[in-house]
Amino acid sequence: MAARALLLGFILVFACFSDTCFAIIYFSSLQRTLVVTASHPQRLLKAGEDKITVTWGLNQSFPAGTDSAYKTIKVQLCYAPISQVDRAWRKTHDSLSKDKTCQFKIVKTPYTTTNHTSEWTIERDVPTATYFVRAYALDAQDQQVAYGQNTDAKKTTNLFEIQAITGRHVSLDIASVCFSAFSVVALMGFFFAEKRKGGKAQQ
Amino acid sequence: MEISSNGAETQPKFALPVDSEHKATEFRLFSAAAPHMRAFHLSWVSFFACFVSTFAAPPLLPIIRDNLNLTATDIGNAGIASVSGAVFARLAMGTACDLFGPRLASASLILLTAPVVFFTSIASSPVSFLLVRFFTGFSLATFVSTQFWMSSMFSAPVVGTANGVAGGWGNLGGGATQLIMPLVFGLIRDIGAVKFTAWRIAFFIPALFQTLSAFAVLMFGQDLPDGNYKRLQKSGDKQKDKFSRVFYHGITNYRGWILALTYGYCFGVELTIDNIIAEYFYDRFNLKLHTAGIIAASFGLANIISRPGGGILSDVMGKRFGMRGRLWTLWTVQTLGGVFCIILGQVDSLSASVAVMIIFSIFVQAACGLTFGVVPFVSRRSLGVISGMTGGGGNVGAVVTQLIFFKGSKYSKETGITLMGVMIICCSLPLLLIYFPQWGGMFCGPSSAKTATEEDYYMSEWSSDEKDKGLHEASLKFADNSRRERGRSVHSQTLPSNATPPANA
Repeated sequence: MAARALLLGFILVFACFSDTCFAIIYFSSLQRTLVVTASHPQRLLKAGEDKITVTWGLNQSFPAGTDSAYKTIKVQLCYAPISQVDRAWRKTHDSLSKDKTCQFKIVKTPYTTTNHTSEWTIERDVPTATYFVRAYALDAQDQQVAYGQNTDAKKTTNLFEIQAITGRHVSLDIASVCFSAFSVVALMGFFFAEKRKGGKAQQ
Repeated sequence: MEISSNGAETQPKFALPVDSEHKATEFRLFSAAAPHMRAFHLSWVSFFACFVSTFAAPPLLPIIRDNLNLTATDIGNAGIASVSGAVFARLAMGTACDLFGPRLASASLILLTAPVVFFTSIASSPVSFLLVRFFTGFSLATFVSTQFWMSSMFSAPVVGTANGVAGGWGNLGGGATQLIMPLVFGLIRDIGAVKFTAWRIAFFIPALFQTLSAFAVLMFGQDLPDGNYKRLQKSGDKQKDKFSRVFYHGITNYRGWILALTYGYCFGVELTIDNIIAEYFYDRFNLKLHTAGIIAASFGLANIISRPGGGILSDVMGKRFGMRGRLWTLWTVQTLGGVFCIILGQVDSLSASVAVMIIFSIFVQAACGLTFGVVPFVSRRSLGVISGMTGGGGNVGAVVTQLIFFKGSKYSKETGITLMGVMIICCSLPLLLIYFPQWGGMFCGPSSAKTATEEDYYMSEWSSDEKDKGLHEASLKFADNSRRERGRSVHSQTLPSNATPPANA
């Protein structure tokens, strides 16, 4: 009896330390208490080269104490609706554990009551798409409790585009062409050699 | 390098026991003896390389789709393109094998498609991606040359096994690539390349492997136990056949068409799953790329035993129950594959999905092996064309299935998988219609008519003019050797006779 209770207790404690214990958080339940702005040199940005400057802070129109639970701020780069069309791997879900809208982390820092600014060079693995910036306020258990974004609720304003790197290099192109030519030439070579051997056998 | 046998008088020595056509009657897996087992190893390795190349893109799609800005529709189209090229390529390959021999036919195709795999590294848009996948897919026609080569080297008691192991271990490439490509990609990325460059470099591996395997086939392989086509044709030991006759006798055999359809729903399904399963697990269960690749790989890796198992099972059933046993087993196994496919689309948890997928893969791949236990007997003169039709039908099944169920966002992947299972069951039913006069079909026994012998069946492919010229000799030998397909109880009563063709057939 005691052993069973101990086992149950053990399982519960274990479960609480695993991800599955956490309650499902829905985006629609979060309050938009943060003000986020993102500025960039031009509308079309290049991955690996251009920088985005992000500023965030608490919206002062909310009562004091709203941010008592905020411990960390996570700022992310998120896909705009136009870049989510026909791409189920970028789909927006209300359940945040399933949501795939925001796949790139810009910065994650402890929360400060004053406005914070951060400059971020766009990483080279960011794909070509249209984006906006969203900041989540996380509590001590790393759970989202509030958010803010630089666009409106429908995600239509203040969007910007990022152009990805191609990933191609001249050396790769040359290597491809050379190896391909080699395969075809080798085939011709074999045919030629076979024909000569066949001709010799006849004589 | 050709292993040439001596002149017509002296009996050439072979490492394995052979029948009257010099085809091996035993299959020794761990031997590489020329010409039989060496041909086996060359054919499965080169086919494996082609499979690795054709399905090298799917496990890396989560990276490629971001680099090339692909939509789900683009990905679906490329997947369809990757298997549609081989539809006609397989038929053409079958004919090429009949006319030029499997060695030259397969090596040429492999070396001509290797450049496309190299060019995958420089793809930069959805269109170029679709094109490289389309042309790379042509290399899957080496399946036909593999089966043709095995059917030329191995005799009836072991032809199912040889075909099954060669086909299965080649198909293994579709699974191995799901493991190899993420690994190679990870390695290159860790060395320092950016993600969008690392995947491009990774494609050089399958391309080089493909090229080298073709060289091996050309240098060490030979078409028939007695030598290569060209040399045998020059010495008069092999008659050069006419394309139009070979083609005609192939496409007018209704059994070839039925097998083409049913193969579309075992092999075609296998190709479809190779294309969609990694992304399915990655997206549905939120796995890492590496993990999704491992799970997807286990589908293709089951080929190491399942397809050979199907071939062996076909031979075992053939020995005991003859052709009827082969047909019944094929239908049962394939239908069960469909049942498990339906279940796969329904299960919700990761562990259940993986378990059902593995069971499903075993049945589907065994059905492929069982199909090619029947194919060698459908025609002797047009073996290549029948093999090509069946093989091509496999790819048609893949194209049709992906078009209906896995293009764009109409059905969720789970629903598509369930519906595909239903289609497997329906499209396996035509097997009930296959009938050989000398051996019977699933529901009917052999015909008791006097003209229903193996010789009559295979001689019907030759006109009396051709018989007068003696062009039918090889088919005659094959007919005699195929008498075992009557099954054990009948075969033991039938004494193998020196078959003489009826006077004016």
